[in-house]
Amino acid sequence: MMSWKQHLAEATRRHFLSTSMPGLGAAALASVWGTAGGSEIPAGQSVRPLAPRQPHFDARARRVIYLHLTGSPPNLDCYDYKPELVRRSGEDCPQSFLEGRTFAFTSGVPKLLGTPRRFRQCGESGTWLSDAVPHLHGIADELCLIHSMHTDQFNHAPAELLVYTGSARSGRPSLGAWVTWGLGTENQDLPGFVVLISSGVQPNGGANSYGSGFLPSVYQGVQCRSKGDPVLDVSDPAGMDRRLRRRSLDALKQLNEIQAGELGHPETQTRIAQYELAFRMQMAVPEVMDISKETRSTQEAYGAQPGEASFANNCLLARRLVEQGVRYVQLFDWGWDFHGTGPQESLTDGLTKKWARTDRPIAALIRDLKQRGLLEDTLVICGGEFGRTPFREGRTAASKNLGRDHYPDCFTVWMAGGGVRAGLNYGRTDELGFRITENPVHVHDLQATILHLLGFDHERLTYRFQGRDFRLTDIHGQVIHDVLA
Amino acid sequence: MVRLPIPDADTGRRSRAVDGLLKGRLFRGILEGLYPHSARLAAVMSCERHAAVVPRCPASVSSPAMYCMRVCLGSCLVSVLAVSVAAGSGARGAEPVDFTQEIRPLLSARCLNCHGPDDASREAGLRLDRRDDALRVLDSGSRAIVPGDPAASELIVRVASDDPDLRMPPSGSGKPLTPQEIAVLRRWIEQGAAYEGHWAWRPPQAATPPVPPAEFADWPENEIDRFVLKRMLEHGLQPSERADRYALVRRVFLDLTGLPPTVEEADAWVNCSDPDAWDRLVDDLLHRDAYGEHWARKWLDLARYADSAGYADDPPRTIWAWRDWVIRAINSNMPFDQFTIEQLAGDLLPDATEDQIIATAFHRNTMTNSEGGTVDEQWRNAAVVDRVNTTFSVWMGTTMACAQCHSHKYDPISQTEYFQVFAILNNTQDADRRDEAPVLELYSPEQKERRRALQQQIARLKSEASDSEHAAERLQKLEKELQDIQPETTVPVLRELTENRRVTRLQYRGDWQSTGPEVQAGVPSAFHDLPGDRPPDRLALARWLVDENNPLTARVAVNRFWEALFGRGLVATSEDFGSQGALPTHPDLLDWLAVEFMRSGWDRRELLRRIVTSATYRQSARVTPEHLAADPDNRWLARAPRVRLSAEMVRDQALAVSGLLSRRLYGPPVRPPQPSLGLRAAFGSSTDWETSTGEDRYRRAIYTLWRRSNPYPSMATFDAPTRESCTIRRNRTNTPLQALVTLNDPVFIETAQALARRAQQHAETPDEQIRFAFRCCLLRPPTDTELTVLQELFEDALQQLVEQPQEAEQLATDPLGPLPDHLDVSRTAAMTVVSNVLLNLDEMFLKR
Repeated sequence: MMSWKQHLAEATRRHFLSTSMPGLGAAALASVWGTAGGSEIPAGQSVRPLAPRQPHFDARARRVIYLHLTGSPPNLDCYDYKPELVRRSGEDCPQSFLEGRTFAFTSGVPKLLGTPRRFRQCGESGTWLSDAVPHLHGIADELCLIHSMHTDQFNHAPAELLVYTGSARSGRPSLGAWVTWGLGTENQDLPGFVVLISSGVQPNGGANSYGSGFLPSVYQGVQCRSKGDPVLDVSDPAGMDRRLRRRSLDALKQLNEIQAGELGHPETQTRIAQYELAFRMQMAVPEVMDISKETRSTQEAYGAQPGEASFANNCLLARRLVEQGVRYVQLFDWGWDFHGTGPQESLTDGLTKKWARTDRPIAALIRDLKQRGLLEDTLVICGGEFGRTPFREGRTAASKNLGRDHYPDCFTVWMAGGGVRAGLNYGRTDELGFRITENPVHVHDLQATILHLLGFDHERLTYRFQGRDFRLTDIHGQVIHDVLA
Repeated sequence: MVRLPIPDADTGRRSRAVDGLLKGRLFRGILEGLYPHSARLAAVMSCERHAAVVPRCPASVSSPAMYCMRVCLGSCLVSVLAVSVAAGSGARGAEPVDFTQEIRPLLSARCLNCHGPDDASREAGLRLDRRDDALRVLDSGSRAIVPGDPAASELIVRVASDDPDLRMPPSGSGKPLTPQEIAVLRRWIEQGAAYEGHWAWRPPQAATPPVPPAEFADWPENEIDRFVLKRMLEHGLQPSERADRYALVRRVFLDLTGLPPTVEEADAWVNCSDPDAWDRLVDDLLHRDAYGEHWARKWLDLARYADSAGYADDPPRTIWAWRDWVIRAINSNMPFDQFTIEQLAGDLLPDATEDQIIATAFHRNTMTNSEGGTVDEQWRNAAVVDRVNTTFSVWMGTTMACAQCHSHKYDPISQTEYFQVFAILNNTQDADRRDEAPVLELYSPEQKERRRALQQQIARLKSEASDSEHAAERLQKLEKELQDIQPETTVPVLRELTENRRVTRLQYRGDWQSTGPEVQAGVPSAFHDLPGDRPPDRLALARWLVDENNPLTARVAVNRFWEALFGRGLVATSEDFGSQGALPTHPDLLDWLAVEFMRSGWDRRELLRRIVTSATYRQSARVTPEHLAADPDNRWLARAPRVRLSAEMVRDQALAVSGLLSRRLYGPPVRPPQPSLGLRAAFGSSTDWETSTGEDRYRRAIYTLWRRSNPYPSMATFDAPTRESCTIRRNRTNTPLQALVTLNDPVFIETAQALARRAQQHAETPDEQIRFAFRCCLLRPPTDTELTVLQELFEDALQQLVEQPQEAEQLATDPLGPLPDHLDVSRTAAMTVVSNVLLNLDEMFLKR
């Protein structure tokens, strides 16, 4: 007599051989892309939906860290130096810039506002940077600043959705979802697309800014936290140790294998695999999220403090995550909406304090990646969702706190690492910062360029939904070849 | 090696000829096993401005040989095989070409982008989607198609040309047509180049159900089976045996009510030998409250129902009275035509009742943008766009959205026609206001009574025109009382503008600020006319949708019901019945169901009853490797589907089997436990919430507060949408994060603890307790092997937990609460471990 265990093992082995014969490999290889076909999940479909995949052509970057400064930092006070605007500060804004325009919080004729910050040229590239971002001065030659970004939207949520999903309306997959859908991820024990949020507020687009839209949910960003459960439900329930979890998963696996043998449905095999993956994730995620494992000097370079939910911690975590093979790490940091409605939103003290918690970890991140040889194929992007006006915001015009309104026509986004031209200042705006005068780059162009750096033709990375092929860049987008190294 | 993720596409388009040729099911099985995408690829064409056309996409595969194979297998899988097979048979040449199956997909995929309905992008004045145009003498003097004479047809000359400057499609727009594709075009022209209207735009005709062959004469239970059997046999498959009774009873409970049966309910049916037991069970289920809750949930996806307004701050929105209206409408079996009319235009019905006005909140589920500094008109316009798109998706499976920015590339809908429909929906009073005006205040019956009485008294007092001080005081008092009666709830509704009505103009490229000529209300001319007895308003549109001449509404509706039960529609692309959508696998069955649906008075209960009493529905889900290889997607329905339960069902089932589920119906949304994230929404309130107390903690998922920017995390993990726009079909994934939810989420731990307590209260020995818990979950008794696995787990866990009293305490009580005195802590904890495993069994997530 066989014991039930032998019996089980034998049944499972026989079953596996029989069901895997007609091309489990081929089916598994091909078909994560297929759930929208709307059937019961086909053979082997979702065994490894995040398995690494090759893009259309050789990529310059293999992973992405996107630093989003939610609310949009004032480009004219950080990156885009306008001495003429300083000279004319306080004058009425010329009518030609106002006619036919609507601004979020400004009507009538506002006053031009020269930056209260001091600028200087940095590095061999001579990049102009203000005293709001002192820690970026030392890495200026690593940055590729695009000063001629523009967008269609002047409210936060639609503009942010446009940046991340290519559409101002919600419901489309986000950049990180497209990237993990296209490339899979290197480390199957960690999520492929991780989201880290600081300053206590969600992005403007809510979960949409890192959602999977109509792509399968496995491609949505997984929010990881440096406080509490690092990933929702990753910890075993109180009172269950690892041994007991392993023991119960073994029993579950045995029972599921009986089921697989009985009904012959490949979906059951998939589920067995997913539970094993979940078990490994339970170990891998807390491990990677534990920044106390870093040396004191590394923690200090970032300004990171174990246990906090800070932007500094998130920068350090971003490096740990990409180092471990996570494909795409998205940071959101709230508090960049410098209207001047309070001291924390002023272009003087408020901006100084906000950057003081931000530019040091960013500089540390760039240096750390470089030192570890990761910068050359990691693309780092930093920016907001639009620009800010060259004039004082209407509501706060009489306040002692200087502030600027939302402005879609020009703003600065910078990139570093993976295949971009370091030390480049690309695109120009006019002397007052109202209009782009050279090399405009629309949000869709930036997206096309990011995908290009990752090895994708943005017109061909498509997904069919409700009768139409969708892509991140909608019907637009030109790769900006001049910014490529 | 395939290198690129293949864009998803329809799975249904494959020539009937292929199917005919590939009768040898092993052969086809191998093909599908090796190239599961082949059939999909054919349809991966699109508006060029949206996405590159696939045949222009050689980098999507790494070698030319593979590419060729994919194209062949994709757009004319048949043809390559046809040649090899036909070489033997020699009969192929005479076979009439099927326009719908063979020609339209080819034209649509390879030609219409430049020679289709969109005037703006048409090349050389040639239009190939309509026969008259295709036969016309072109500016060049030639004719694209000369019926009966392929050699004189410029179409054939150009597609077959060796000269890259002459050849169509031009370089850059796709690979040349294959010899097989050219051959079928040639044959079609030879045979007279007959066009057929798109199948879905012809009114459905009920065919006589086919007579089954003698061998299977006993199998059919009703007409559905006779249609299904025919297609199944054509594909070399045979019906599976009937599922075992426990599998069946669980399946039908889950499918009709979204909840599993209790063990008693299951046993009662399993042990009942009445011949009509199944029919009576079905009838019982269709009359339960849970039936309405379950099917309402699906409607909420279509209606993009949420308890928040969307966009950045995503403030709360009070609209649950409409959700309750849907549940009640379904439970009262409101005919689908009435259900349609009341939701789109209840306010315009003569003497509209309060309920009919509540119904119009269907289209008030669009998002409202209240971020500071937004221009209301922009977002009001966005809401109307959403209403046009949603209306056509939900009722007509038509991708109307394509025509917002330019005329539809494949289906005959012009941009002007898009804005004609827009004009119908463009004159309601709502205008993206933060207060959601107009809203309807809803009072309880007692409040209504009191209000009526007060209003009468006030009116009387006023009419008496007494100027005594006493009268004035009394009036004031009554008016105050009236004012103080707060409505139980409110609901945003549609209300037509009576003055300052908006003029609708065409919006160039769909940009609300870039407008063109004025457009009058109307519907696309490719379809029947609006009813002539009233102005072209919302009510006219609603009646037009459910007019018996509407070729789509009934088909689209029955297809969605079919999809809900079988996991796959008879038209796989349930969101697109247009020329780019999948062809129906069972066209005759689809039409028969659609016609019967209308004939029954749009009776949803009757439709469901028909489907679940079929033999098709009652088959076993067991599948052999051969069968799986022959029909991996179960198109031919020779077995029951195994489809994962929805996010809501996963939650409801766990609560139900553990005995925690509250059966309270209706009311404001509830807040079951969710992890605290310590975050706020942008410009909004905390995303955390205070957990509901009492039974509201355990209500069905349909009552869970649905916040768009932050959907309930465990449900989002199981593919629940954000409900920002209409979702016709959810994805179904299987991921490790789902495993983490059902293994560790406090809600699921709580259910495991409750089940463990319940088992101990119902049975004495551990064996009996395990058997009891097992049956609560799966209904069927465990096999000896299964029981042994669980017993060993229990013993092992108990041994450990006896040594760890503190852990045992936590495992048994956190979060459910203190144990009743008579229960042993370690034993309950060990039983919780067992229950946690039971609740995670594969069989719990899939219908069996």
